[in-house]
Amino acid sequence: MFKYSFKRLLQSIGTLFIVITIVFLLMRLMPEEGYFGDGFEKLDEAQREAILANMGLRDPIHIQLKNFYKQIISGDLGTSIIYRPKVPVAEVLKTKVPYSVKFGLAAMAISLFCGISLGIIMALGKNKFWDKMGTGYIVFINAVPAAVYYLFLQLYVTDIFKLPILFNPSKPASWILPVVSMSLGSTASYAMWMRRYMVDELNKDYVKLARAKGLKNKSIMVKHVLRNAFVPMVQYLPSSLLYTIAGSIYIESLYSIPGMGGLLVDAIQRQDNPLVQSLVLIYSSIGIVGLFLGDILMASIDPRIKLEKKGGAR
Amino acid sequence: MSNTKIKKLSDGINKSLFEFASYNDSAAKRAGYSNYSYWRSTVQVFAKNKMALFFLILMMVLLTFTFIQPYLPNQNSPTKIHIDENTNMQLRNSSPDSKFWFGTNSIGQDLWARIWSGTRISLMIGFLVGLWEAFIGIIIGALWGYVRKLDRIITEIYNVIDNIPTTIILVLLTYIMRPSIGTLIFAMCMTGWLGMARFVRNQIVIIRDREYNLASRCLGTPTNRIITKNLLPYLVSVIMLRMALAIPAAIGSEVFLTYIGLGLPVSIPSLGNLINEGRAVMMVPSLRYQLIFPAIVLSLITISFYVIGNVFADAADPRNHV
Amino acid sequence: MKKLMAFMMALVVLLAGCSNGSKKPVDGGTVEEGIAAVQEYSSVYSGEVTTLNYLTTASTNEFAIAANLVDTLIDYDKYGVVQPALATEWKISDDSLIWTFKLREGVKWVTHDGKEYAEVVAQDFVDAMKYIFDSRNDSLTANIAYSVIKNGEKFYNGEITDFEQVGVKAIDKYTLEYTLERPTPYFLSMLTYVCFFPVNGQFLAEVGDKFGTDNTNLLYNGAYIMETFEPQTRRILVANESYWDKDNIFIKKLNYTYNKEASTLAPELFLRGEIDYADIPSTVLDEWMKDPEKKEKVRPNRTSFYSYFYAFNFDPKFAAEYEPENWKAAVNNVNFRKSLFHALDRKAAMLTEEPYDSEKRISNTITPKNLVDLDGVDYTQLGSLAEFANTDSYNKNLALEFKEKALAELEGKATFPVKVLMPYNTSLTEWANRAQVIEQQLENLLGTDYIDIIIDPKPPTGFLKEVRRAGNYAFLECNWGPDYADPETYTDPFGPDGTYNWPHLAEGYKESNGKNKYENMVDEAKVEVIDIDKRYKLFAEAEAFFIDQAFVIPYAVGGGGYTASRLNPFESPYSPFGVSGERFKGQRIMEKPMNSEQFSQGLINWEKERAEALKAAGQ
Repeated sequence: MFKYSFKRLLQSIGTLFIVITIVFLLMRLMPEEGYFGDGFEKLDEAQREAILANMGLRDPIHIQLKNFYKQIISGDLGTSIIYRPKVPVAEVLKTKVPYSVKFGLAAMAISLFCGISLGIIMALGKNKFWDKMGTGYIVFINAVPAAVYYLFLQLYVTDIFKLPILFNPSKPASWILPVVSMSLGSTASYAMWMRRYMVDELNKDYVKLARAKGLKNKSIMVKHVLRNAFVPMVQYLPSSLLYTIAGSIYIESLYSIPGMGGLLVDAIQRQDNPLVQSLVLIYSSIGIVGLFLGDILMASIDPRIKLEKKGGAR
Repeated sequence: MSNTKIKKLSDGINKSLFEFASYNDSAAKRAGYSNYSYWRSTVQVFAKNKMALFFLILMMVLLTFTFIQPYLPNQNSPTKIHIDENTNMQLRNSSPDSKFWFGTNSIGQDLWARIWSGTRISLMIGFLVGLWEAFIGIIIGALWGYVRKLDRIITEIYNVIDNIPTTIILVLLTYIMRPSIGTLIFAMCMTGWLGMARFVRNQIVIIRDREYNLASRCLGTPTNRIITKNLLPYLVSVIMLRMALAIPAAIGSEVFLTYIGLGLPVSIPSLGNLINEGRAVMMVPSLRYQLIFPAIVLSLITISFYVIGNVFADAADPRNHV
Repeated sequence: MKKLMAFMMALVVLLAGCSNGSKKPVDGGTVEEGIAAVQEYSSVYSGEVTTLNYLTTASTNEFAIAANLVDTLIDYDKYGVVQPALATEWKISDDSLIWTFKLREGVKWVTHDGKEYAEVVAQDFVDAMKYIFDSRNDSLTANIAYSVIKNGEKFYNGEITDFEQVGVKAIDKYTLEYTLERPTPYFLSMLTYVCFFPVNGQFLAEVGDKFGTDNTNLLYNGAYIMETFEPQTRRILVANESYWDKDNIFIKKLNYTYNKEASTLAPELFLRGEIDYADIPSTVLDEWMKDPEKKEKVRPNRTSFYSYFYAFNFDPKFAAEYEPENWKAAVNNVNFRKSLFHALDRKAAMLTEEPYDSEKRISNTITPKNLVDLDGVDYTQLGSLAEFANTDSYNKNLALEFKEKALAELEGKATFPVKVLMPYNTSLTEWANRAQVIEQQLENLLGTDYIDIIIDPKPPTGFLKEVRRAGNYAFLECNWGPDYADPETYTDPFGPDGTYNWPHLAEGYKESNGKNKYENMVDEAKVEVIDIDKRYKLFAEAEAFFIDQAFVIPYAVGGGGYTASRLNPFESPYSPFGVSGERFKGQRIMEKPMNSEQFSQGLINWEKERAEALKAAGQ
């Protein structure tokens, strides 16, 4: 296992290298007008050239790449050029990450608990009342665009319960609604998949055998069905956990939460290359580590899954 | 030592102990006969669910209507701007009435016509992207999960593509190709299959080393046969569900792209930009119809796909056929 | 701390009380009574301030903040009359090249926590200019400064390395001298722009690249100090206790909260009393105007000096499928242009943005009114320009008449219908809507056998470069903002160096020197720098000719829209260019927001008083 992990991590560094190089090059394909925002029109040619040169965009592309690698290897994320000119990227992120992570973790905890419980209840009482209620909820969440029901929630719930519309770090009550809104979607999806896997497991022969053997229902559930149903879910947990850092674009913009949501989109549209590259680097690392941890976790729960190359494979 | 034993054993066997069995046609048929047909049973189980039938009919009606709507009499063009005869100006934000069933938008275009036109466009985007996603996703996912030699390379490709933000690709594509339906579909197809591929891969990783596959491998069954006969049928139900969700998901991501400003221009109506336009007037109760109508149509489509997909997934699981 | 707060509160109440009592019947119409007891202002914003470095930025969001933190040599009052600020007096040399400013003594730079740092001296203006003209510092406004300051451009481009030769000098501690490249009658108006702000050189050297990256890396000599700067969260400005003119600062605290959806949420927040200012988007305006209670809370805004016009492209370079050669033949026919000129129903187009009172935004000239005046007579009312300024270009009959003429003249030269490629930027919903409105309106009026308008959605990424600058259009909505208060600034887009619609390529206007008539008229006006009267009249004639020959169709001015606000717009400093209009100086928070009637009345009063004030100032 250790050897396998080590090898995969080494590979990951290669992947990261390819990803950021591609992103680096793609960003260089963007039109130069974009680096000036609305100011473009009023500048003259000499100024534009000087500014582009100061951003390093006038160097040959291999020099730019070389400088970029050097800087990344030395652990420096660079300096923002447009989003917050001359402020180090690390400093920009430092204030934002904690908000997104806090909101994300709180929402995830709620949705994991609610979603899995709901999924189990639904699967056990298949086609009964709670199953139908749960399905109704899942269908609703999946069907109505998030952008719409978030807005309605914000508008009416704040009015009914006299909650503040905007997030304010010093008012604990202003945490409630964003966290709840954020967890609605993932609760539905956890419940949906939990129910599906549970139903799949319950239909399997070993459950019938266990029942025939006279095992207690509870122990069949806990020891076998739940455990097996968790396996496909577990794969996604590390990624979801790590991705809380990325924040939620809708929620954060609705409630004025100064987190990471939408930062990448913003940075791309405003062509803040160093910020884009840093964010891609961070998110890619998270993605790769998440996938890897997911595999490890899955293999450790289900001994039938083998990740390492052994005989018999082709 | 054991050799002598076997020798002794073989000594006791002679031809007279055996005779040829004659082939009995009817007996053979009886042994292999079953009136079970996978697809018929699937349909039967599906048809038992009244709600699913309801949504199936609803969806068919909706789809048919969407496509014949422009050919019905008295339909307006979705981009025609209506002029108020009294003021000689655009008939702005006119509430639903007998002439404009869903009212008009902020420049006097018929919302009824826009919604169906938008539904057509969004469904087209959804279908094309969803189909592509399922097709490419399943093929790559199956190979990725089963063929270990490919695991490393596909994982690499997956990681690379998955980690390049879609926004960059979209911004660049619209810059190069101008904002249009084609650009949007192309961009969504480029990255859309990743989720499906990873999903199929994970499912296959879970079952590829089970004993019956091991047995198949030992018997020298070719890889493509193992994938298509041993693995995929086992996954039909989950894949079905995933596919049914892929279409509304594609529509949903169109809504999201419009939200971040990368969707279709408003001169090409789609559910995404209709909802986004509606959001702007959301705070005004009397104009909320501009958000609610497209949201309802979108929700109906999504619910139909979702319910049908779920029930069909249940029905497609042979264990539910008993 | 508490004591200080209490003291400040008392002061606020006292001040509010004072102003309430003493100034009752004057300006602003009927809303004078009812100044709010607490002079604290809150609003939400969606456009983020990325930097506080006022020496580099050119974005309105950013210099609007800087305007309240740092003062300039001169300032404008609420009628747009120049007032002394950091400079108490100034004079011009006889050759109009050297401007000397006497600085106010005892003005202090303070740090973000209110501690005194240094005195504001003449050298601060020199240091600021040195920073701006250093091309390594990425100043986006350097070109505006070096367009007038002697040797500025050469220094910027590295042709001169000795800053001594650049036309800005500290003669002594309180005397500042600018030497200009050429006589510039509008120089004074430029001084309220960010590139003429002062900076403390020692502080600048101390903080280096960090200058303006947050509120601690900045010095303040203006009305407010930035107490908190959390980008994408909030910013708080508090009144500067050591400000030289603090008696005229009534609002003691400004709170800004970031919200990406501000345009959607702000009206609701205003109704709930959480903020004092909300723009009411045109989409929800109907609702506000119909509701008797909300109607009392909303008022129009003044228009800005951004000029919008529809340009005919004389150098078409679009794809062959849109027939650029055919367009070229058509556009060079003056009757063809005039048919479109009179056919465009600008009010219908404006409804996409301004459903109420759309006329106020419509402009019949390129230069907006109120930019400059001759003794109280507005520039747009000079000479033959007045006729155009006072008539609506939309005229169905004339349009059809010109259409017939064009059809006759273009017979055999152009094929009908003429394809008219009209791109628009997809990032602006209003623009997209407007494109559709115009397409239908023009085609209905002139007939689809005459023109075929093709609307073409283009992405915001690289829009200008790909579309306008590339000549990739036939008919396009364009805009231009002024760089200084002089009509010359509005001729810049149309010169041979312009990147708008290349009117110098129009056929049939050549004069003996090989240039087109319009270019010659503008050149004649430009060189007239002594006699302002003559200068303005020459520019007005040139503009009248330009509009008469339908090189462009004047469409609108910027700004406008409707706002719910507890500020009185007629108290704010007024200037067509520069940062004065962004200042909170002299403004007070009212108990109740102004409604539309109060606004219209206030505007009439204000315009009357302004004409008098300008006349008085002119003498």
